[in-house]
Amino acid sequence: MAAGSQEALAQLYDRYAGLAYGLALRVLGDPGRAEDAVQEAFLNVWNRAAAFDPARGSLRSWLLTAVRNRSIDYLRGRGAHERREQDLEPVAATVGGQDPWHEVSLKLERDAVREALSSLPPEQRQAVELAYFGGYSQAEIADMTRVPLGTVKGRMRLALEKLSS
Amino acid sequence: MSDHEELESNVAAWVLGALDRQEAEVVQAHVEGCASCRETGARLQRAVTALPLAVEEIAPPERLRDRVLAAAAASSGSTRAPSRARKVVKPPARRTVFGLLFDRLPTYAAAAAVIVALVAGLVAGDLVARSGQVMPPSEVARFTLSGHESLTGAKASVIELKADGLALVDFSGLPAVGQGRVYEVWLITSGGRADPAAVFVPDANGSKVVLVNRALQGYSLMAITDEAGPDGAQAPTQKPQMYGSVA
Repeated sequence: MAAGSQEALAQLYDRYAGLAYGLALRVLGDPGRAEDAVQEAFLNVWNRAAAFDPARGSLRSWLLTAVRNRSIDYLRGRGAHERREQDLEPVAATVGGQDPWHEVSLKLERDAVREALSSLPPEQRQAVELAYFGGYSQAEIADMTRVPLGTVKGRMRLALEKLSS
Repeated sequence: MSDHEELESNVAAWVLGALDRQEAEVVQAHVEGCASCRETGARLQRAVTALPLAVEEIAPPERLRDRVLAAAAASSGSTRAPSRARKVVKPPARRTVFGLLFDRLPTYAAAAAVIVALVAGLVAGDLVARSGQVMPPSEVARFTLSGHESLTGAKASVIELKADGLALVDFSGLPAVGQGRVYEVWLITSGGRADPAAVFVPDANGSKVVLVNRALQGYSLMAITDEAGPDGAQAPTQKPQMYGSVA
């Protein structure tokens, strides 16, 4: 049994490690810490696998959310139990890739997201990126960018509306 | 600004994880009772789920793979029964009756590591059947394969994770293969074309969990044959003695 599970984990690793590591590196900027975050996220998924509910989202989004959360923890220099801000949980089911179209649909998804992000007004993109990749709260973002809190909320809303269309 | 407007204005920050814990709890409590905010949240959540894709995919160093597998092997000694997930703030889910039902059922396993739970016999399908509720059309499909003739007594449970485009197949009761041989998993179209999907050797107990790294869409059957190892054959060399519908 253990051998069988190992092979399955290895296959999942091979499938998602590039996305996971790219994300961790984006958040942390440091390859060593990014490796640690990815390892912990995979372990987290491995150990909490009984809590995975496939109806709530794909394995991919669950894993990548774990990578993002763990990376933000590292960035903020704290353990998971100290996380003061909200944990992101994957929810919406994404349209999954299907082999042999997996690579193609992943590429299409990626192109669509990048296109949408780059066409956002800079201040909206910044609000989303600070929150998602930087782990900042909306209050912190308002401080950092020197705008009222209401403005930040509006920017986030507008950005996500555009990205989701 | 009304109370509702105030709450609604926080939904975007909420799905981005940009609220502090207290604020997040307030928004979640509201969303659970407000259909329009729930819809908004679900829509905005889709955008957030896609954000990691905006980042360039970068292959990590080889050593990370070894580290992950070694760490998992070390930790898999402690298998736990599924427990209720710790209380965390959850963005909106599809809160149909079935959605509420999902929350109350012990969440069930489908990820790779959850093979542990599969092998321990915890198949949530049984739980659902006992409770008399119907599974919602979902991102998961289940099938069974049965063995015939020389594979009589062998069984397999197939769990297809549609969102991930892969399936897990949990075999039991398989006789050992001959020296240098493997069992090969085939996916067969309604036109009769058999595509090779995986090869494996059962463990000493006749069990194995296999990951089929592709979607089952478009195939009618999954079948198993005994082939020459280590890589199996390009086409089945015998009539399959274990098979089941995956349509």
